[in-house]
Amino acid sequence: MNQSVPKRKLQIKILYVFIAFAAILSLLGVRLVFLQIINGSDLQKRAVEQQTRDSLVASHRGAIYDRNKKKLAQSSTAQTITANPNEIQKAKKDVIEIAAKLAPILEMDANEIATMLEKKTNHVTIKRRVEDDAAAAVRELELTGIYLQEDAKRYYPYGNFASHILGFVGFDNQGLGGIEMVYEDELKGEPGRIIALKNALDNDMPFKDETRIDPQNGTNVVLTIDEVIQHFTEKHLEEAYYEEKVQSGACAIVTDVKTGEVLAMATKSDFDLNTPFTLPEDVETQLASIANDEERTQARSNALQKMWRNKAVVDSYEPGSCFKIITGCMALEEGLITPESPFFCSGSKKVENRTINCSHHEGHGAQTFADAVKNSCNPAFIDVGLLVGKEKFKEYYKAFGFMDVTGFDLPGEASGIFYSDANYNTVELATASFGQGPVVTPLQLVAAVGAVANGGKLMKPFLVKELIDDDGNVIKKTEPTIVRQVISQKTSDQMCAMLENTVANGTGQNAYIKGYRVAGKTGTSEKVPRGNGKYISSFIAFAPANDPKIACLVVLDEPSNGQYYGGAIAAPVVGKILEDTLRYMGVEPQYTEEEKQNLEVFVPDVKGLSKDNAIKNLKNENLTYRIIGNGSTVLSQMPKTGSTLPTGSVVILYTEENATQVSIVPDVRNLSLSEAQARLAENRLNMNITGAGATGNSSNLTVANSQYPLPGAQVEEGTVVEVEFRYLDVD
Amino acid sequence: MNERTAKSTQRQLKKTKLTKTGFDFGFLFTVILLLALGLLMVFSASYPYAYYYFEDGLYFIKKQLLWAAIGTGAMIFTANYPYQKYKKLAFPILIVTGILLLAVLAVGINLNGAKRWLGVGGFTFQPSEVAKLGLVIYFAASLAQIKDKIKKFNYLIRYFLVMGVFMGLLLLEPHFSVCLIIGLTLVIMLLVSGAKMSHFCLLGVPFGVLGAAVAIMEPYRLKRLTTFLDPFADPLGSGWQIIQSLYAIGSGGLFGVGFGNSRQKFMYISEPQNDFIFSIICEELGLIGALAILTLFAVLFWRGMKIAVSAPDSFGSLLVTGIIALIGVQVVLNIAVVTSSIPTTGIPLPFFSAGGSSLVFIMAAMGIILNVSKYKKQTI
Repeated sequence: MNQSVPKRKLQIKILYVFIAFAAILSLLGVRLVFLQIINGSDLQKRAVEQQTRDSLVASHRGAIYDRNKKKLAQSSTAQTITANPNEIQKAKKDVIEIAAKLAPILEMDANEIATMLEKKTNHVTIKRRVEDDAAAAVRELELTGIYLQEDAKRYYPYGNFASHILGFVGFDNQGLGGIEMVYEDELKGEPGRIIALKNALDNDMPFKDETRIDPQNGTNVVLTIDEVIQHFTEKHLEEAYYEEKVQSGACAIVTDVKTGEVLAMATKSDFDLNTPFTLPEDVETQLASIANDEERTQARSNALQKMWRNKAVVDSYEPGSCFKIITGCMALEEGLITPESPFFCSGSKKVENRTINCSHHEGHGAQTFADAVKNSCNPAFIDVGLLVGKEKFKEYYKAFGFMDVTGFDLPGEASGIFYSDANYNTVELATASFGQGPVVTPLQLVAAVGAVANGGKLMKPFLVKELIDDDGNVIKKTEPTIVRQVISQKTSDQMCAMLENTVANGTGQNAYIKGYRVAGKTGTSEKVPRGNGKYISSFIAFAPANDPKIACLVVLDEPSNGQYYGGAIAAPVVGKILEDTLRYMGVEPQYTEEEKQNLEVFVPDVKGLSKDNAIKNLKNENLTYRIIGNGSTVLSQMPKTGSTLPTGSVVILYTEENATQVSIVPDVRNLSLSEAQARLAENRLNMNITGAGATGNSSNLTVANSQYPLPGAQVEEGTVVEVEFRYLDVD
Repeated sequence: MNERTAKSTQRQLKKTKLTKTGFDFGFLFTVILLLALGLLMVFSASYPYAYYYFEDGLYFIKKQLLWAAIGTGAMIFTANYPYQKYKKLAFPILIVTGILLLAVLAVGINLNGAKRWLGVGGFTFQPSEVAKLGLVIYFAASLAQIKDKIKKFNYLIRYFLVMGVFMGLLLLEPHFSVCLIIGLTLVIMLLVSGAKMSHFCLLGVPFGVLGAAVAIMEPYRLKRLTTFLDPFADPLGSGWQIIQSLYAIGSGGLFGVGFGNSRQKFMYISEPQNDFIFSIICEELGLIGALAILTLFAVLFWRGMKIAVSAPDSFGSLLVTGIIALIGVQVVLNIAVVTSSIPTTGIPLPFFSAGGSSLVFIMAAMGIILNVSKYKKQTI
């Protein structure tokens, strides 16, 4: 009994201990309910987040095609070299050795690679988008922790071709300019994903439950651009860009006037789309001389922006005399004038207190409106503008689309700027009439003049014809959009005729093309601030004048090789572009009577014929001849058959072996047509006339601008020398 | 006279009856179940870790099986070794424990700035494991002997001094977690044997202050405290393990991801077969499995306490209570740590965490309880 009391107490205390443990275990059970049930899904979500590797599978970026499905931009797969430094370190591999093996293959510094591999991380990118053979070489090394990852590489097969239209992509294949940027969403597609389980060392788990979502390829973009026309445009524009030493860039646009499709659009200088961040060497040298890092970075950025700038869409400028087309249409449409309305030009005109000069200082005298267009007479157009009046002028300016952006498919489009109401007075109206004051973009101008050519219907210019999938199925097609009827068919016809006359007989002669009726207008504007001798030379034209199909505008910003009149330096470029384009498009030439007389003929094959028969054959083709040698049979001839010659040209007939006579090509540049003809004839050479000389109304103002072969070349007698003529009386 | 004879007869009767009672099979069964589950979980939890770091997924389970076999041998031995004999051995055991703890300070293997392991000819063990069981045996024997003198303050203070010396030695290693386990276990034993609560408060205050000072003195312990308060402040550093543990527990949900299917054991939880094995259990077996294991421990404690209550003498009662308290304190602290209920301290989960010497001592201790269970108090 004595003993049992403490024993009992002991038992009770033992029970307390058990109860205490049981209570704590219950509390821990409650804690588990809290963690596993109440907080469970949240903790599980976070756990899954760290346990899964969500890697992107690059989608195939859509291609960009020209209208004939020629690939202008394409994507191909490339391998990116990555590494798992933790894995390498864990495997106790020699980082220096791995780096040394990789360095020569990847053309990188071994130390740089070693530094990357020494990082305490599970993933580093060593080099992106390596060439296939380099990737194969890396794969062959079978290095621990070095991986190849599939990546996409953007490739532009034609380098700097259409660079401002296509745009380019950045480091992550994101579109950074042009179509690449505007159509980013369509082109990029949807990247796929691989969701795989990984352990804490970032290695794959042994479970095979990875989820794969396939990437969706991007849509392909088909442009309205015709690769061939773009090529002509770029070629001729580039020639002028260098020849005229253009300082602030040049641009050209070719459109289909009936639909608004842009067939070509070029800006010079351009850049290689495959290396869009590489500046020209001279710019680099200039940049290198900037000492301050920050300034240099800024300067580099500015230089790149300038290089990438698409003048045709982004840069507004004063259109100069090209705008007279628009002013003229306003007055014709309003019935204020007819082509026959008389005007008088004294060489200058006083508007309120300001005297405005005509480019032709002696004055054009009495002239019809059609003459005023042909002569590009400022005083006459001031009169026309004043007739239209401030209200109507602004109304039409708006109607032709100069106040809005056109809604074109390229980034950064500028809209036109007109005077604010407060600044819009008679003097402003007067200068605006001949294209000084308001600024427009080249694209707006070509669209507006396109409307004049297209029976008054203003078409919305566009660059993307359709979107297609990889099987060529059309996903979306752009239909031509009529913005509005700006002027009547009648006004359009009248203006077309006057503009055709401008090219055939007036200031636009340098855009003349044999066999094609070109309507066009020159433009020269002095850049602000005025008086610095900096000009913008332009020419706008469309053809054929009786049934306009295409329009072309060329703008040369700050030519610095002496000439600056649009009619002198921009018109020939337009002429060449139109000629090549019309031929390529298969537009049938239609020769005028005058042209027919000067028509070129095929040189017949008279080799092996008797002297008499040969002469007879040549006469049939309106060709003359010259016989060298005393033989009775023609052994050879110059020019040979297959070439063409203007009628009346001389074909040299050789009747003896080795009788070839050599002639030295004389310098005919700056000679008039007849002088050049005579000079070449003296040297027993034939002449093929191009440019303004072909209009058939050449005067002393039409002079040879260039020739081929160049002066001093030794050629066989009878060789055809190609001579390009230019009309000098232009503005 | 009559009374005397009766008493001696009773004693005689008691003695014969005692030897004839069998083991507590319920307790034995619980122990075997926990051991088996422990082995399964070590196998599951350690496999990826062993595979990645030792290139043999069975690296840990092979060792653990061997230790389990040795432990079972130890249990069979202690279960058949009359527990009364520890009474005489208690003081020598205490001395040996003290020598071992001094030895580990002198010639122990230094791992990460702590000397906790003694190497004896290619075989290593932690003297702290000996200390746990050794002190429990000593306290049980000593407290049973002095009976209710423990109620006196000057007696209690002696035990505190013994405790203080041994805990001090453990802190010098340093081995804070074992120090904590032993401290709590011995305090339970003192309370059960009749020490007064008021005396405890008197002695407890300076001990508590000392404990807090020790905890904060070492910067890493303070860091553990701040990590406990906000593990997400440094998710990749100090907070990593506890965050990963919570992720594992949370991922388990009600039913778990299934045996062997843990993802967190793939190096997210470092050394998942050790102190944090319970979070892998929660992940694989879910709340149901985790609660089942908690219940199993509760059953173990229940059966153990029953054995303690039915033990024929105070020594047996205190010995069993001490061992159960020792296991109980570790179970409770371990689960509290992995569920982020208290700051992290390295305490293995008995029967589950891989680690040889610990398992052998636990099994040996279970054997002692089984031995005590043989001797039932006589009921007249």
